[in-house]
Amino acid sequence: MNLVAHILGKLVNAAALLLAVLVLNFCLIHLAPGDPVQVIAGEMGGASAEVVAALRAKYGLDRTLFEQLMTYLHNVAGGDFGYSYYFNEPVLGLILQRLPATLYLAFSSLIAAVLVGTMLGVVSARRPNGLLSHGVTVLSLAGYAAPIFWTGLMLLLLFGSVWPILPVSGMADVVNPKTGFAYLLDVAKHLVLPSLTLALVFIAQYSRLARVNMIDVLSADYIRTARAKGLPETVVIVKHALRNMLIPIVTVVGLQFGNLFAGAVLVETVFSWPGMGRLVFDSILRRDYPTLMAVLFFSAMMVIAANIITDIVYRLIDPRIRAGAR
Amino acid sequence: MSTLDPSLIVAAAPAALPAAKAASPTKAAFRQFLRSPSGVAGAAMLLVLVLGTLFGPLVYPVDPLDIAGLPFTPPSADALLGTDYLGRDILAGLIHGGRATLMVGAVAALITISIGVTVGALSGFFGGWIDSALVKIAEFFQVLPPLLFAMVLVTLFGQKLTTITLAIGAVSWTAAARLTRAEFMRLRDLDFIKASRAAGAGNAHLILRVVLPNALPPIIVSATLAIGVAILFEGGLSFLGLGDPNTMSWGLMIGQNRNYVLDAWWAVTFPGAAIFLAVLAISLVGDGVNDAVNPRLRRR
Repeated sequence: MNLVAHILGKLVNAAALLLAVLVLNFCLIHLAPGDPVQVIAGEMGGASAEVVAALRAKYGLDRTLFEQLMTYLHNVAGGDFGYSYYFNEPVLGLILQRLPATLYLAFSSLIAAVLVGTMLGVVSARRPNGLLSHGVTVLSLAGYAAPIFWTGLMLLLLFGSVWPILPVSGMADVVNPKTGFAYLLDVAKHLVLPSLTLALVFIAQYSRLARVNMIDVLSADYIRTARAKGLPETVVIVKHALRNMLIPIVTVVGLQFGNLFAGAVLVETVFSWPGMGRLVFDSILRRDYPTLMAVLFFSAMMVIAANIITDIVYRLIDPRIRAGAR
Repeated sequence: MSTLDPSLIVAAAPAALPAAKAASPTKAAFRQFLRSPSGVAGAAMLLVLVLGTLFGPLVYPVDPLDIAGLPFTPPSADALLGTDYLGRDILAGLIHGGRATLMVGAVAALITISIGVTVGALSGFFGGWIDSALVKIAEFFQVLPPLLFAMVLVTLFGQKLTTITLAIGAVSWTAAARLTRAEFMRLRDLDFIKASRAAGAGNAHLILRVVLPNALPPIIVSATLAIGVAILFEGGLSFLGLGDPNTMSWGLMIGQNRNYVLDAWWAVTFPGAAIFLAVLAISLVGDGVNDAVNPRLRRR
């Protein structure tokens, strides 16, 4: 019951945040220099004064700002995020069409990063001054400092030209389309490089974090107790240490979700992955504001969802929170 | 001695002491920094990069926007690091572009830290409804992925270096705010703060002269790292075509040449390596500073 009330509170808060994002979107569009009607008129190749006035009336731009805001919110509530002037399609459809590819890329990278990062951290924490430990430090520094789009381009160069063993563009082979299992295998092959690029950044962060936390946890009294009881080292690590070490990792994964998404945008642009990143790139290039603002809204929505999920996972792995102590 | 001079007690607060005492922890921290090999290595790398961008044009006077040779000339005696898709000299681009990239990084980080410290300080110092309101605002900003938000801002408000710098500065201040707020909340109720307050020190004096100096060590570290993040952001924006087309920068070089990566590897590899080295140097310096100012964490 406590948990339900808590989640309900979170959802109300989420709704308020999303409303605020919409109001921000609206304000930004209106603060931006340039008249949208003139832009549309320009795209049409020039327009007379009457046509401009008609456009103004059509988009409701002749009404007060407050009325316009209310119309905007009302439209969004009905799933209408506007019309893309570049793609000539409702924005919502554009986004929903591309969302799965982005989620596919983002989650496969996230899972790889958490698994590999945690493992590297845990193993290197066993010998804080060992070779692997120094390796993790170097990797985390390099992963932090390398611009993600550059890492992507370097991998593209390596596997697209020097040693061409992996596809470097798109999500599937369009020349010889495959079906069934072969198709899945093809998509998986196309996923390797983008996913690796995106995961590297996060592997760098998580391995460093996991290493520091693990060193901390391993020096705790309950670990000494567990060892003193004569438990095998594997049990000590897996049952006693890992769970406590995971809590800060879960926090960071939740906090970083926005960065994961932004990273996916850059990586998709490098590897022509047909997700939201490509959409963002095109809408920037064409100054397609409705699409861009909707992408910002949807990314905020995903970050909020990630935060709520993190909060729930947190409660599942940390009994202190579950008991309502915090 | 009938009345106590309030200024005496205010001055007795450890951080409010002027140079005589403040200099020694700074010196100690500096000495500690010099003992960290990676920190010194980072500082040296950074110095080379900064001097290179400042004095490079004197040694290598080639205009980065001029056509210097045939497009896609590989690195050779004519063009040491090759030319790009328009035939512009890559080395000249690196030298001139570094100035814009490093400048954007430094100024944007300054903006980030200024906003973050102001919000965090007010929030942590006053608590109550001011804190609640500012935490809500910070929560709102945390929901927007910083790079995407910066992209939207630059797209809407124009691709000029100032807009880009302001946009980067405006989107990623929440981490600094959280950090400052925590420090201020920790320090707010300590005895020396109470003593200053009892002696009649006003809020502005307490915040700026008493609490802030004591909260500085972690803020300095986060400011250092913010420069690196800002440089990566500038690169990301330019890569997506949102750089200032009239100012050469490392990110712009990668963004403009990325479609030709298979024809001319040098045109993207070198500018990217420059960004990598700059951010690496800055984070090494950040680690060194962290070790120097946070003695408790030194063993990590």
